[in-house]
This record gives sequence, structure tokens and C-alpha cells, in this order.
Amino acid sequence: MKLSNKNVIYLICSLLTMVLILSGCWDNKDINHRLLPVSIGVKKVDDQYLVILNIPVPIDGSMETKIVSAKAETVSKAVDTISRNMESDVDLLHVKLIFIEKETAEDGINDIIAGFMRSRDVSPKALVAICDEDLQEFFNNIKINAEKKGLSTYNYFEKNAGWNPDIALTRVWEVFRGIHSYTHDVAIPLIRSGKDTTMDQIGSAILKRGKMVEQISSNETLLYNVFKGESGNGKMEVMEHATVMLLGSKTDNIGRLVNNDAHMESLIKMRVVILETKGEPSLNLIKEEINTLISERYNKLFTKLQENEADVFGMGQFFRNQIPRDELKNWRSDYFKNMKININVKIDIQNEGYLKTT
Amino acid sequence: MVRSLHVMIMYVLCHLGLIFFMFPADIIASTEQGHWFPILIGIIVHFVCLLTYMKGLSFFPTKDILSIFSKSKKGVTFLFFAPILLYLIMAIIITVRAYAEIVTLVFLSHTPLWTIILLLLSVSAYISYKGIEAILRAAFLLFILFFPILLFVLIMSFQNVDWRYAIPFDTDLGFISKPAYFESYFAFAGGFLFLGFVQPFFSYERKNVILSAIFLIPFFLFSVYIPILTLGQASASKAFLPFVLIVDSINIDWLMFDRVTMFFLLSLIAFIILYLSLSLWKAIRIINYYIPKSRPSYLLFGLSVAIFFVCFWIPDWKDVENILFMNSFLRSYVLIVVPLFIYYIGRRLKRKDTNETI
Repeated sequence: MKLSNKNVIYLICSLLTMVLILSGCWDNKDINHRLLPVSIGVKKVDDQYLVILNIPVPIDGSMETKIVSAKAETVSKAVDTISRNMESDVDLLHVKLIFIEKETAEDGINDIIAGFMRSRDVSPKALVAICDEDLQEFFNNIKINAEKKGLSTYNYFEKNAGWNPDIALTRVWEVFRGIHSYTHDVAIPLIRSGKDTTMDQIGSAILKRGKMVEQISSNETLLYNVFKGESGNGKMEVMEHATVMLLGSKTDNIGRLVNNDAHMESLIKMRVVILETKGEPSLNLIKEEINTLISERYNKLFTKLQENEADVFGMGQFFRNQIPRDELKNWRSDYFKNMKININVKIDIQNEGYLKTT
Repeated sequence: MVRSLHVMIMYVLCHLGLIFFMFPADIIASTEQGHWFPILIGIIVHFVCLLTYMKGLSFFPTKDILSIFSKSKKGVTFLFFAPILLYLIMAIIITVRAYAEIVTLVFLSHTPLWTIILLLLSVSAYISYKGIEAILRAAFLLFILFFPILLFVLIMSFQNVDWRYAIPFDTDLGFISKPAYFESYFAFAGGFLFLGFVQPFFSYERKNVILSAIFLIPFFLFSVYIPILTLGQASASKAFLPFVLIVDSINIDWLMFDRVTMFFLLSLIAFIILYLSLSLWKAIRIINYYIPKSRPSYLLFGLSVAIFFVCFWIPDWKDVENILFMNSFLRSYVLIVVPLFIYYIGRRLKRKDTNETI
């Protein structure tokens, strides 16, 4: 194609305009003028929110942690106050962890979660954890740990790093679902700062409709993860005669409605390997022991959940085809509370290591 | 020139751009359970209209929808074309305004709205200035570039699905009376009109267009069902853009990009720009038919400027929704009256021809 002079002029003009547009420079803030917090802590003090941000700042090749806080009527206002007082702009785009203080969680976190869901910066896949000590102190300990011992908070929950099967992994969108859903509640990791480690996990908090109602242990959290289909891979169980390691697990559930009462049959299949034994127990004895241990633990957990009417396992999901939607609204109080559960555990011992077991 | 493949791709891309945004929210708002039914009805209506329209057009193999009426008086045909023109212009306004808002909502939260409107309009006006040939070629290129990304994100969005949320299946006709349901037809009615405009330039086989319409069915279903299956009806109904929210909560450990939403959105925006250029081109064809003396490029420029100011003048989202609802009447005209009328004229012409030959 031959270009006339007029066309060349047009072309150059349009290309130059594109340079102006494509730079996108009107309100752009460069990366060195932004602060990207990795975790955010929220606590309710009277009618105000105390927001604490944990901001890693790279200085001379190493990471320093900056802890800043502000108090305001809403979370976003508090973040804005921090942003105003800092020399750079605070951008919540990379927040990975949200800590909420226990007392606040007991009051209900619906508004906080809704705020995070509504906001365009905080990703709905950020993790939520509940902090079982004073938030300010917790963040200060994190800072000390991070600077003196080089421990980071975020890797604690990463599946490909520090995560363990007895830590609940709950994301903002799951908490949001738990608030509105008729049949789903969530468990959230309950943590406090550790002496030698960044965090100590003490169990999980049970959230019912966005309110913390109960606390369960790490062992029980494992059951929660197993039930959710999250792998329990690598978790040890110590019993009287043997120590086994969990390799994999699967649950099959059948929900039936008999005379308007919910009945649940669940079959938990677990694959284990034997690590240590005491004395010379037979395979059957070991199986028997695991069986009792797991079913007892499950039953105890269920009783606890039923008392609180909090369905963290999403059991109601198995009754969706039997209970009409209008009645499903009251699933927690009408059905789940009096649900009969029959748990069967099936153990497969995959191998016994280099030594034989009789 | 036979360009079935290009027409097929254009047909698919136009609809893909429209499906994933407002459509899921509208369907979720229009019924509480059994979402497959409203979607199915929409798809059936879509197919019936498409088939009638194409059958009608097939009576005039070398003519486009405008030249079919070349023998009739212009005043009479104006009555037929004025609503189509009005519909096209309104659809352009709604699309530009809505997608500009979505862009600000999801990633450019600080950028002023008018720049995004300007960008969307100027690019699509430029493509449409180059004519239908350029539009279809661009569609081919965009399809190769972006469709794999879209497919990847779509497959990944099944990550958090709980299939039991699909139950209960039973449904009622209550959605018929909901305004949201009529707004959802925006996704069905948007694309198919262009088949009547391309004919003298390109010919296509009817079978292929039907194939691409069949190809779209899973996209219609999944765009609604993925949010439902992940969040449940009760929570999904709280979301403004349910599908985007789900894409935002996808967590992929092995991917180096943190948020796949960006890829998803940018590919869809590219499709939308294509849809806009096609609509602009159609509108200009109609206007040019009635004002034959003016140059199409001036008309295009004038129309784009007018649309820009109207978009700029719409203050908030509620007004966009109102216009979308008002547009329903024109939409049903385009969806029902236009295909039927074309079919009727075609049949009459054929009968006349056969009578004459006898």
C-alpha cells in the first residue's frame, strides 16, 4: 500500500496520540510509592475498628516489617487514615491474610467480610484467621519473629509450603458463603503468636452465620479437612500400640430423611502406613484402634457442632434433594440439631514399612 | 465469498462477550431454584428466532436485509428499520456504559470513566470504519489469541464447585414476571442480527451458524451454574457480577500470575469491542441507507461522538439498568418481529415466483 503525504501525517498523529493514551499516566502511582501489606488485622473497639497492617519493606536486600495501625468507624476509613499518614499509598491488592480478633469474631464479622467482598482490592481468596490474643501484641510478635528469626507469616498457610492437614484453610469467599448459605458453616484457624515460631495453631473457630460460636482442637480440624476432601496426607496418629501416618482419605455420605428426621450414613475410608509399634500388635488390633479413635473423635465433634447448630461439614448439602428450599432455610435448627449420624471407618493399611507385622 | 468460519467465529465471540457479565446475575435474580429452566427457555427462543431469521434470509441469497426492501417505499420501510436502529444505538450505549463501569469496578478503580468510554468507543469505531471485512478478520485473530485463555479460565473456575448446590431441580414459571429475566435476553438478542447484514459481502452456510449456536449452549449454562455451584443461590444472589467473583476466587498454586481475572476480563473486553464495532457498522449501514448522500465515515464519527456524550451523561448504575429494561421492548421487537417479518416476506416472494413460472 502506498501512503500519500496526507495519510502519513494522519498515521503519525494517531501513533503519537496512542503514546499518550497507552502510558496510562493520569493517576498512576509507581510501585516504589506504594505499600503492599501482606496481612491485615481487624479488631472492634467499642464502635470503632482498629486496623493493623503488616507491610514488608525491602531495605538493602533484606525484608523489614512495618506494623502500622489506625482506628476509625469503618475498615476502609482506617486504611485510608493509614494511607494518609504514610509517605506512600497503601494498596490492599496483595493482602493474603486477614486476622480478626477473637472477641470481634464472637460479635459477628458479617460487615467486615461483606466489606472485603465488596472491595475491589482485597482478593476474595485471601485467607481468614482468628487471633486468640490481643491483636496489637500479636502483630508486634510477628514483627519481632520476622526480623530476628526470619520467619514469615504467609508461608504458614501455603499449601506448597508450611500448611499442615490439621490447619483449616478458609478463604474470604467461603466465610461469605457461610454467612448466607443455608447449609454451610465454616471453621477458621485459631492462632496466637508462638515463642519460637511465628504462629501457634491452637485449633479452629467454628463460625455460624458469621459468628464464632465454638472452638475445636487441631485433631478435630483434621477431621474437618478430611471431610471436606482436603487431603489429610502426612498426619500422624498415635495410639496405644502403634503410630500410623495418614496417606489418603475419602468420605462417602448418604443422607436420608425418615419421618422428617435426618439420618446420615458416612463411611470414612482411610489409607495409612505403620510407622512405629509398641510390642507386637496384630494388624487387626491396630485397625481396631484407629477405628475407635477416629469414630470417637468424630462423634464428639458432631455432638459439639449439633449443640451449636453449626454445620461446618455442609451436611445439609446431602439433603438438598429431599428437603424443599423453604424448609432448608431452617436446616440448622430443624434438622441438623437432631440429626442421627452413623459413622463407619474403614482402614486400609497400605504397607508396614521395612518390618513385618504379624 | 464464502466465509462460514469467519461468520461462525463472529457469532460465538459476540455472545461470549455478553454472556459472562450481566447474564448470570439476571438469571440468578429471576429465580430461586432450577435455573436451568429460564436458561433453557432463553436458548429455545434464541434458536427459534435464529432459525426463522435465517430461513427468511435464505429466500434472498444475495441480498442483505436492507436491499430486501429496496422495491418498497422508504417511508414504509423506515417504520420497520427505525426500531432496529434505535435498538442498536441503545445496545451500544448500554454496552459501552456498562462495560466501562465493569472495567473500573474490577481493575481500573482510579481511572476516570470517560477515558474508558473513549477507549472502548474509539477502538470499535476505528474497526467498524474499516468495514465488515476487517471486523471479521479481527474476530478471527482475537479468537485465536484469546479463546484459549478464556477456555482455561472457564475450566479452572470449576475449582471450588460443589455439585450438590445444583439441587433442587424443580422449578416454576415465576421468573417470567421478573424484569431481571427480560434483561437477561440482552445476551441472547445481541448478536444474531448481523447475519442479515453480511450477506452481499460474505455468504455463509446456515448449518455452520447453527453449529456455533449449539457451541454456545454450555457457556450459557456454566456462566450461571458455576457461581451457583460454588456459592449457592443464597450467596450468589448477593453478587453483582457473580462469575467475575468466582474467577477472582480461583487459586492456582502453579501459575505465576496471582489473579487470572485480568486475563479473563481483558479477553472478554476484546470481544466486546468487536461486538461494538459490529453494532456500529450495522447502525451506520441503516443510517446510510436513508441518507445515502452522506459519507459513512462522517456518520460514524458523528454517531460515536453522540454515543460518547450520552454514555457520559448517564450518571449511575441504576440508570443503566433502567435503560436496559426499557430496551426490553425493542429487544423483543428485534428478537420476534424482525425474523417473522423477514420470513413472511420471503415466503410471499417465493409464492409469487412459483405462481409466475406456472
